[in-house]
Amino acid sequence: MPSFNATLRVLYSDHHGWLNGWLRSKLGNAADAADLAQDTFVRLLNRNELLELKAPRAFLRTVARGLVIDHWRREELERAYLEALAHLPAQQAPSPESRELVFELLESIARMLDGLKPRVRRAFLLAQCEGLTHKQIAERMEISVRSVERYVADALYHCYLLRYQA
Amino acid sequence: MSQSLVLERRQPSPAVVRQAIEWLMRLNNPTASARVLQRCEQWRAAHPDHECAWQRVLSLNTDLNNRFQALPAGSPAFDALETSAQRLGRRQALKLLSGLLVMGSSAWVARDVLPWQQWSADFATNVGQHSGFALADGTRLRLNTDTAVSQDFTAQQRLIKLGKGEILVTCGADAQSPTPRPLLVSCSHGMFEGLSGRFVVRQEGGHTRLSVTDGRVLIRLPGASSIIAQAGQSYRVTQQHAEIMPELDMDPGAWADGLIVTRNMRLGDFLAEVSRYRHGYLGCTQEIARLRLSGVFRLEDTDKLLAILPQTLPVQLRYRTRWWVTLQRNA
Repeated sequence: MPSFNATLRVLYSDHHGWLNGWLRSKLGNAADAADLAQDTFVRLLNRNELLELKAPRAFLRTVARGLVIDHWRREELERAYLEALAHLPAQQAPSPESRELVFELLESIARMLDGLKPRVRRAFLLAQCEGLTHKQIAERMEISVRSVERYVADALYHCYLLRYQA
Repeated sequence: MSQSLVLERRQPSPAVVRQAIEWLMRLNNPTASARVLQRCEQWRAAHPDHECAWQRVLSLNTDLNNRFQALPAGSPAFDALETSAQRLGRRQALKLLSGLLVMGSSAWVARDVLPWQQWSADFATNVGQHSGFALADGTRLRLNTDTAVSQDFTAQQRLIKLGKGEILVTCGADAQSPTPRPLLVSCSHGMFEGLSGRFVVRQEGGHTRLSVTDGRVLIRLPGASSIIAQAGQSYRVTQQHAEIMPELDMDPGAWADGLIVTRNMRLGDFLAEVSRYRHGYLGCTQEIARLRLSGVFRLEDTDKLLAILPQTLPVQLRYRTRWWVTLQRNA
């Protein structure tokens, strides 16, 4: 059986060009595509297990797709965060350092909530960020309090699975 | 130590985890009574899995609270998270679709990419937008969805070049000019001269449609005599000739008021019209394409517009994604 590194090397030389092209078609940007192609292979290095792949491209695509989505999430969050900051009065604007910290925190939360249904996410965020009661959330979303409770419970369950079953 | 080992190995069932979450939410309720606490404790003691799930849910809750409380008060966290998640969802849906449907999708995916006309145009709108501009001579220009226009005014003429899409022109008096300058609109299929009033020029694949809503427009044809189009008339113009059209099944200028107004229009044609205002695919099955509809529909939110259709026609909407919508006969 070939060693881990040899397998990875073959994988790299056979598919790196293809992966780069695939990423470029998704991102529309050669520099980002090259970065993410590199990251994809770095992810594989860190897996530290022998790769016996029947469908190497499908596998690479799965890893790379996750990275593309991370990349987009970061972009969209940055954009939305800056837009939201622009609406704040000047004296409330955070310093650049605290901005960076808050952004990292937001990113970790966004990643955690990834995959939630929009209304579940919204109910959960209204409870956690805005500190609204379930009754207030129900009014704001025009749904029943029972639905709000179910959505918040769904979101907690989602976070539970991420944390304990990954 | 031994307890944490037990916790590590246990894998409470989803149902038990759900129950633990229910208890947490009941206890988080400010009006929770001592009796709820007591019953929660009974539940925890009933099985080691219960206690395990409870401890985990509690620790998760603490972690979540810490994270959210670390966000500065009054920070725009909610807006940032909510807006970005919505956009990310749209982006994933679009890109995923474009990956899956390589052949079939090229026609509309291409519409997402701004073509050269839009980069070089003086005035342009994206899909779903419309906007208006006043030109220096007093002419007013309204651009419908996905439209690109350039302006080329000289001492001899006022030329408006329609690169793509649809415009409504209201002729200006050009009072400042020392000599009279014709108001011309050029498109791929011909040239129109606005004599007075208002008219709509709509460029499509093989032809351009001119509709005069008010006043008169001269259709200039290469190698043939010009035609004067009157108010209420529509002409179908190709590079070779212009022919008058029978009465249209929709009001040609209603979009300028944000409306589609139809008279006995085929559903298939109606959906083709609506899809000009939104991204993605919109269509219907063959069997219902011939259904007719008349009415006034607001363009500002085409999802809402579509949602009205099942109230008047025996059809149902199927959203595969937000960007992939088909109508079929009501089951």
